[in-house]
Amino acid sequence: MDLNRPALPLQNRAARNRKALAATAIATALLLSACGGGAAPQGAEQAAAADPASGANASGAVNICGVKDASGIYKGTAEAFTKANGKVTAKYTEIGATTDEARTQIVQRLEGKSTECDLFVTDVIWTSEFASQGWLLDQTKLVEANKDRLIPSTVETTKYQDKYWGSPFFTNAGLIYYQKDKVAKPESWQQLYAEAAKAPGNGYVYQGKQYEGLTVNFLEMLYSAGGEVLNEQGDVTVDSKETRDVLNFMSDGLKNGSADRAVLTYNEDPARLAYESGDFGYQRNWPHVYRLLNATPLASSFGVAPLPAWEGGKASGVLGGWNLAISAHSTNQAGAVAFIDFATTPDWQKHVAMDYSQAPVNEAAYSDPAVLQKMPFATELLASVKGAKPRPISPVYPQISQAIYKNVYAVLSGTASTEEAVQKMAEEITTAKASF
Amino acid sequence: MSTLTAERPTAELATRPKSPKRRRLRGESKLHPMVWVFVIAVMGFSLIPFYWLVNTSLKKGASLSQGELFPSQPTLENYLVVFQNPEFLLALRNSVIIAVVTTTVALVFASFAAYALARLKMRRKAMILTLILSVTTFPAIAIAAPMFSIWREIGLYDTLLGLIIPKLTFALPLAIYTLTSFFKEIPRELEESAYMDGATPFVAFRKVILPLAVPGLATTAILVFISVWNEFLLAVTLTTSPEARPVPVAIAFFSGTSEFEQPLGTISAASVIITIPLVILVLLCQKRIVSGMTAGAVKG
Amino acid sequence: MAIKTLLPGRSPSSATARPVSGRDRAERKLAFRMTAPSLVIMALVAAVPIGYAIWLSLNQYSVRTAGLSRFVGLENYINALASHEWWAAFGQTFLFAGISVSLELILGTAMALLLNLAFKGRAVLRTVVLLPYAIITVVSAITWQTMFQPNMGLVTNVLSTLGLPGGDVVWLGEHGYAMAVIVMADVWKTTPFAALIILAGLQVISAETYEAAELDGASKWQTFVNITLPLLRPAIVLAAIFRTMDALRVFDLPFVLTRGANGTESMSMLAYTQLRENRLVGEGSALSILTFLTVMVVSVIYVRFAGGNIRDVAKEEQ
Repeated sequence: MDLNRPALPLQNRAARNRKALAATAIATALLLSACGGGAAPQGAEQAAAADPASGANASGAVNICGVKDASGIYKGTAEAFTKANGKVTAKYTEIGATTDEARTQIVQRLEGKSTECDLFVTDVIWTSEFASQGWLLDQTKLVEANKDRLIPSTVETTKYQDKYWGSPFFTNAGLIYYQKDKVAKPESWQQLYAEAAKAPGNGYVYQGKQYEGLTVNFLEMLYSAGGEVLNEQGDVTVDSKETRDVLNFMSDGLKNGSADRAVLTYNEDPARLAYESGDFGYQRNWPHVYRLLNATPLASSFGVAPLPAWEGGKASGVLGGWNLAISAHSTNQAGAVAFIDFATTPDWQKHVAMDYSQAPVNEAAYSDPAVLQKMPFATELLASVKGAKPRPISPVYPQISQAIYKNVYAVLSGTASTEEAVQKMAEEITTAKASF
Repeated sequence: MSTLTAERPTAELATRPKSPKRRRLRGESKLHPMVWVFVIAVMGFSLIPFYWLVNTSLKKGASLSQGELFPSQPTLENYLVVFQNPEFLLALRNSVIIAVVTTTVALVFASFAAYALARLKMRRKAMILTLILSVTTFPAIAIAAPMFSIWREIGLYDTLLGLIIPKLTFALPLAIYTLTSFFKEIPRELEESAYMDGATPFVAFRKVILPLAVPGLATTAILVFISVWNEFLLAVTLTTSPEARPVPVAIAFFSGTSEFEQPLGTISAASVIITIPLVILVLLCQKRIVSGMTAGAVKG
Repeated sequence: MAIKTLLPGRSPSSATARPVSGRDRAERKLAFRMTAPSLVIMALVAAVPIGYAIWLSLNQYSVRTAGLSRFVGLENYINALASHEWWAAFGQTFLFAGISVSLELILGTAMALLLNLAFKGRAVLRTVVLLPYAIITVVSAITWQTMFQPNMGLVTNVLSTLGLPGGDVVWLGEHGYAMAVIVMADVWKTTPFAALIILAGLQVISAETYEAAELDGASKWQTFVNITLPLLRPAIVLAAIFRTMDALRVFDLPFVLTRGANGTESMSMLAYTQLRENRLVGEGSALSILTFLTVMVVSVIYVRFAGGNIRDVAKEEQ
């Protein structure tokens, strides 16, 4: 997919230094190093840090920007915070209708050093990209201060180069929905696929369209099989036996009827709608499906399970969800810290589940009786969240993900062999990393 | 001017016997059965996907996944939801303002430019035509980001005017090309006779060309209106608040209860609703589109 | 742009040496005044962003460090032109544009002839035929997506109920079929555009022309081929230019329907991926400009070789 981008020995040349608007320390540092022609790349290394104590004395207005507020959680939290705090007023601005659009809009603001937004709601996969550009405030101290109330796996999604660049707000993890009257609760992927192939009405639906969701579906299996894309040092380790096994397994599943070929066109919503028609036994989807399924004739017959393990391995998954990142150009960093403090309190995290059906980042919330009543599958969800891992951590994650989903798709649709796809995937991920 | 229209000389057909009848009066009964088959085929092709859209707009919840050809429990709830959404109504207002203003200004500017290109002596017409075309051909994604920064600097970001200006820019080429082509069709002899009556070129344009070009103007108006109405990328890049968002962006902001849920029912209902202004526009314009301007001749 | 040279130059017959008369000068002044508003607004709005995009395409930007760049000249273009992805997208886009624009012109001409006939209910027909054009592209993409959804789509349901082939095909998941859906969705939505322009072209053909042909004893088909079609040429060429331009930049339909899978990735999608998703601004801008140049070359070829009024205008050089 990549256009033979040569490795970059970048020289500091033109840096746009039109208007040094708000003279925050970080902006000045950026300009100085860019104009001075120094060799040190300006990025994560020199970012300013958020002071965890500053939240207590905060006042003024905080503008939180992000994707459209489907569940109402962003606006709801802003309102509740404003009411509880008394000194700081928070407001939520929807700046993108889809995740992709929101990212574009956020990037445009950050590139222009805009002071419009103090906080961004960021998809977990954006952290390293934004942090590497010096766009975000270092939240390491804040996260350390709050660490005991946050689930460790969710905190990991905000980590880049040993620092934390955001605080988790709510999380997400894949679940298996299954028809209790037709199929058994999945214990392993192998058992799920075998069961799904037994009868035409038992089939498995997942997100197999050529897009981010396919990367997620593939990684969930790869992680549980013990494979990985990048190792701890960031080397490309995707060319492995595990990757081949998982690819063969998925493509066999399409051939032997475990999964309907239609999954090649499904993202989250079509997969859900297909499952709601009652023609399938298993579905992989996010927690939001629970409430929707309850409004269908399947309400009494479906069960929820955490993602299964690979045979002989350990169950794992991939984390979704959203973090709160403070803009380096924010003019009210203290207010932003106060908002984060509020949003991550165990008490508000209960509301995250009860009022907005999102997965809390605080473990205690999952065993709260009121939460359990609204989210009877909270135990399964917590198991999924705790076992899940972040997607590959890299500022060029979008390119890495494309390398994954395009090549996985090629195998599933039968246009490439597993061997070809694995090699190409590894090659493209290596090229992608070189463009960084 | 109508007298002029009726009496104008015909270019190469002057020797042919003139018919008092107009073509559109030719027999209504003479339609061949095959034509009817074609009429039905065309209607079917146009309407079946539209029917599916209406069908979806009448379903909610679980019935969206049933794929029924006729909704078993049709409901107007999606329409109610859309109409009770203040942001959608605001967007409807914005879209109407943007589309009407842009179309009007584009028609005025473009008809001037088109007349100059089609009729007047002018240098570098080829270059002008190429430049005009290149403006509309340039991929919007490549200019959206710089436009965003410039618009913020000069305070046009998130305003209706800030949308009208770029939309006008990208509508002008279509309007200029279409009108130039239509103006070319109008026989020169008509202006010549106006000149002989002492008219200036501008008067000839206003009194001879414009009235004769009404079908072309009406067609152009519809094409420009709809392209402005539907444009999405610039609209989403240059707005952030419901006060400035036009309809396509507002629809994209419809949401289910979760980020992963596509609210098919309300999206469909809103799409059906917004065809209504377009239908009204077409009904208003359609007499003009086929106005039988031509009792006379045609450029060879 | 060097495209100017592709347009027909000044025709040898136009006497440029002729002294400029006072009337000529006045006419040129008027022409200038009449084109100025359009040109000024286009220049003001488009020039800076277009120039900026061209500048970006000559540089390579660091994804990691904002603002860090180096001048690479035409390297981004050379890399793009050397890549398999560009040529695959190029071929796929032309395949899409070729099929859909041909269908749109044929159907559009037929529709225009139909709309021009006098019969009861033609007002209804005119409105109905225009409906698809009024649907927002993304919504039309979603509609076609659900129509072809296996098991619960309109088309798949009807086909399998009637026992016709195609009912059990995963349309958007197969090579060829996916392209077919995208073509159908585009033809559905934009044929009315072509029909409208051609209909307006029909209006300027006089009744006498037809009657003359009838007197000559020409059959309906002969009249159509020998008289209507040549006279419609300017309108058809006009529709072809704008439809081809749009079709070669197709983005929404494949983006929503397939995300570029199964041989449907278009040039614009490639540019979008590099520009927006990967934020390789230099490479992405180069791809946008390559797309732009491709479309311009095709448009200019159209204008030059398909004829029509625009060519006539371009040829007038005084």
